[in-house]
Amino acid sequence: MCPLHLKWESDTKRPMKTKREKIGKVAEDVGQGYRTAVAFGWPDEGESRRLKRAGRLLAVSDLLWIAQAGLISWALGSLPGMFLAADDSLVAESDLTAAALQAAAGIALVALLRVFLQNRAETIARQTARAIQSRARGDLLSVAATRSPSAEFPSSGAFAAHVTEQVDLLGPYYRNFEPQKLRLRLVPLGIVAATALFSWLGALILVVCGPLIPVFMALIGLRAKAASERQQEELVRLSGSLLDRIKGLETLTLFGAIERTQQQIGDAGERFRTGTMRVLKIAFLSSTVLELVSALGIAFCAVYVGFSLLGEIQVGTWGGPLTFAQGLFILLLAPEFFAPLRAYAAAYHDRAGGLAARERLATLFPAEDNPRPRPIGADGFEKAGTHQLSSPPAIEFRSVCISHQQRDVFKDFSLAIEPAETLLLEGPSGSGKTTLIDGILGFQEPDSGEILVEEVPASALAAVLRRKVIWLGQSPRLFHGSLRANLLKAVETPAAVPEDDLWQALQLAGAETLVQRLPRGLETPLGEDGFGLSVGEIRRVALARAAMRKDAVLLLADEPTASLDEETAADVINGLRTLCNGRTAIIATHDKGLRQIASRRIDLKSLGAVAGGRAFA
Amino acid sequence: MKSVWHIIRTQHRYDSFHFWLGIFVALLPAAAGLLLLGVSGWFITAAAIAGLSGAFLNIFAPSALIRAFAIIRTAGRYGERVLTHDATFRFLTGFRNRLFASMAHRTSDGRRSGLLLNRLTLDIAVLDTVYLRLVVPLVLALVVAVSLLLIWSSISPLLLVTGAVFISAWGCLAVWTFVRSDTKNARRTDAALDAMRLRAADLAAGRRDLAIYGGLEAAAETVLAAESRLAEAQEAEDLRTSKLTAGSTLLGQVFLAAILLVCLLEVGRGTLTAALAVGLILVVMGLPEIFSMSLPGLAKLPRVALAAGRVMGLMKDRAEAGSAGDRASGKRAVTAATGVLAFEDVSFGYPGAARRVLEGLSFYVAQGEILALAGRSGCGKSTVAALAARLRSPGQGRIVLGGVDTGRIPDAELRRKITVIGQKAYLFNDTVAENLRIANPDASDADLWRALEQAALADRISENPEGLQTILGEGGLGLSGGEQRRLALARAFLTRPVLFVLDEITEGLDAATAGDVLDRFLSYRGDAAVLMIAHRRQELERANRVLDLTAPRGGVNPSPETILSEFQ
Repeated sequence: MCPLHLKWESDTKRPMKTKREKIGKVAEDVGQGYRTAVAFGWPDEGESRRLKRAGRLLAVSDLLWIAQAGLISWALGSLPGMFLAADDSLVAESDLTAAALQAAAGIALVALLRVFLQNRAETIARQTARAIQSRARGDLLSVAATRSPSAEFPSSGAFAAHVTEQVDLLGPYYRNFEPQKLRLRLVPLGIVAATALFSWLGALILVVCGPLIPVFMALIGLRAKAASERQQEELVRLSGSLLDRIKGLETLTLFGAIERTQQQIGDAGERFRTGTMRVLKIAFLSSTVLELVSALGIAFCAVYVGFSLLGEIQVGTWGGPLTFAQGLFILLLAPEFFAPLRAYAAAYHDRAGGLAARERLATLFPAEDNPRPRPIGADGFEKAGTHQLSSPPAIEFRSVCISHQQRDVFKDFSLAIEPAETLLLEGPSGSGKTTLIDGILGFQEPDSGEILVEEVPASALAAVLRRKVIWLGQSPRLFHGSLRANLLKAVETPAAVPEDDLWQALQLAGAETLVQRLPRGLETPLGEDGFGLSVGEIRRVALARAAMRKDAVLLLADEPTASLDEETAADVINGLRTLCNGRTAIIATHDKGLRQIASRRIDLKSLGAVAGGRAFA
Repeated sequence: MKSVWHIIRTQHRYDSFHFWLGIFVALLPAAAGLLLLGVSGWFITAAAIAGLSGAFLNIFAPSALIRAFAIIRTAGRYGERVLTHDATFRFLTGFRNRLFASMAHRTSDGRRSGLLLNRLTLDIAVLDTVYLRLVVPLVLALVVAVSLLLIWSSISPLLLVTGAVFISAWGCLAVWTFVRSDTKNARRTDAALDAMRLRAADLAAGRRDLAIYGGLEAAAETVLAAESRLAEAQEAEDLRTSKLTAGSTLLGQVFLAAILLVCLLEVGRGTLTAALAVGLILVVMGLPEIFSMSLPGLAKLPRVALAAGRVMGLMKDRAEAGSAGDRASGKRAVTAATGVLAFEDVSFGYPGAARRVLEGLSFYVAQGEILALAGRSGCGKSTVAALAARLRSPGQGRIVLGGVDTGRIPDAELRRKITVIGQKAYLFNDTVAENLRIANPDASDADLWRALEQAALADRISENPEGLQTILGEGGLGLSGGEQRRLALARAFLTRPVLFVLDEITEGLDAATAGDVLDRFLSYRGDAAVLMIAHRRQELERANRVLDLTAPRGGVNPSPETILSEFQ
């Protein structure tokens, strides 16, 4: 509601080197080495042009006020003279009515044009801002979709907040603030020029008052601005802390700490209020200065015009005394000189939000520790093209080296896995079990050496492979949607799946009774991360989801029984036994219980993998 | 719309003095601004006439007025901003407090999606602006409109009619926005925003799963589908706002043209002096600014109404929960003592579930005893823990603590008597000390270190330079699953209850850690009774008795003996 700050600089001259490509282009690039620093939420050239155009239209609409002010002054101009020639009042009245009618019609016509231009400007700015936002979201998502799942990634909460709220902040910035810049540059100039037509002194008053504003505001506003931004952050923290307490309500209830917490929330709110008001009292001064100077400017104009009309001042015009019409015209224009300044200051808040958001978006994705731009040879793709993976594949690691953050995970590692065998990978945490599975899935490119599936580099085959694999992780993730939708994620043509298949899969995972117990059975909606299910239940559903993939030729499981109670673990092992049948299966585990279903077992530590001994709690 | 009204009333009730003070102070600059324009117009016209005719003009009174209005306008703006913001912040504090209180009474349905809670933050942020953007500008417009109509009526009927037509046109615009507010579209916007947030979170957290099941690109597509629905809904909303603004601007300009015409006619007829006419015309120039102040607030009304509805929904449930609490504090029925805790023929089913989780369950925990509850996952063990801790209330039967029905024990007393250690210890985004003092606000730093020591977490915390002042939780020190469990243990080590309820405290821990956690707990518990929800052998081994919930229960009303089995 209030323009808090005003700062004078042209801040949006963006560096040309951060020019953005379209979504598809980013995706293409990412397929090779992953892009690390991607700028999100910048306008492209056309969009910058459109925003400028919106600003120009706004300025033209503002400047049309000059015409309207002229009409008003013209219509009213004869008023004072009329009373001197009282005898001719009848003639004057008809003249007056005619002039009034013409002026009123003229003002209304120009008004239509002004409203049309304003509306047009707003529409252009709005749609352009929306396009920039949509593109920013598209870019964020295409990076998210193409970044390797084993690469570092922001937390789900942070990512969701960036995609929604941070991108939202860009909208007001581009739409409200950007067009104001051009308006601020053009309108005051036009007003000064129009004023100068009749009085150079009037123009001079405006020219002197205009630049005074930023000077005064800078004096008062700069420190207040920083303080008020801190206070903004404080407000965000305040709501964050309320949310935090609500999330932890159960803990608070159990310790009988509800009333105490309520007291704390009240105190924090009160502290925030007094602190904020202290800051705002200073911050509002800067907008008060804006008001004051513009009021002074208008008052000076009024005084000058008033005394000229009284005949006490004779200077300031281009010869001849100032007429009433001219004086009125100058006075009508003066407020419009300051209007763009005020609009600029009002939109300044949007600028701060938008720029901060753009910065946060740019630093969302952590830089990849070692991007591996290893183009897969055309040869590899050629071989991959013919493969449909219709039978259990043979997998081979040939002198593979992989390192993570300067630590060798695999060094000259070789391993051959026969078709349809069930291989158990053992070894301590950090010995590379997960990395090995990631290598087969193409999540992880070897630094040197080759990972071959049916004699084809794994990464070239990744697309086919990922459709033909049963994968079970140690912390599987279920998604928003019904249980049925979650299960059907595993199949490519969900419509063609008979109901029986779903129940078979659930039975295999020992999840039948679990589903029967749920309020709406298979249609029960799950929240994020299987919300509403216990850890063990999520694992059962994940196993059922894996079992839906009947045409899989490969099974990869990463600690499938970790942190499960004995009964669930036994059910998972039984399920895996069935699923391994007729597939090449690789199971990474600590659990000795899984040895019963393996046809071979290897300890990674003894096989050339370099165990760095990084243990996880 | 009722809920918006409710929010306004709540704010008014909360602090009606500041509520009206803000509005009153907001009136000053608006009125001063209009008068400033009017007097200036009058003054220069009078000056021109005086200049031409050589008549005497008292320039001191009007110029003093102009000065006064300019000062009132500038100072009033300042005062208005300070006071309306202050009123808003006052309300905000009270409102958040009430909201928390009402949420606190609804923990019984403890399942709440963390991400959807974020919607609540947005809702509150929307409601914060109701006073500033809706109440103040609307009252302002109303007062200005009425005063102007009164002034015009004292000058000439034609002026009054013209003014009334345009002011009622503005009124119609506002009413039209109000009546034809597009609630459906607001709902669509909110739904699309939620969908986008949830899907983006799913995509980020489940990238590995999605890469194999369903595909990452497909998941990204679904987020973008939500985004295009959002863009569509927002565009519709913006289009309305933009129409509204255009309509209001046009109205203002046409009004100016009309008033020019009317004033000149009146001057011609001699009913109006030239100076007054110019003054009146200039006043009309200042009107659009005042009337358009409420437009953004009005255009956002449907979304504000939705937000208010959601928040008031949370508040309303509080009343119901509160009445249940009152009932609980009624008279106490004391029964024969059957140990520290006893379940008597307890049945429980989750609302909407086809099958009940517990059916006629009876058991007791004796003084100093460790009773382990065993059974496959999903058999209702955790439900037993939630019932014992009164996080849920039984559908049938009674739960008795120290001879008193738990439903009748005041909350503070119950919480002192029972300490629950759960699977998931919530880490508040606060210091270690504050996280621990939730369990006991009077604990000294030495107590906290001792508890941390006993939970084997002291080393981990003292590693950090800030020690007990280290911030935990989101954006702070992240503790691993095992460490979180230990923090929960440390919290429990600051209490001295008669009964501990352990809800699978070793879940997700490896055998060595689990054993350590259990032993540390047992050495602390003293002679308190323990109800342990167990899922691994280590836990069962440490129990005095084991109750297997999946064991066949025979008839409808099994006696405790039939379902208890000694653990060898």
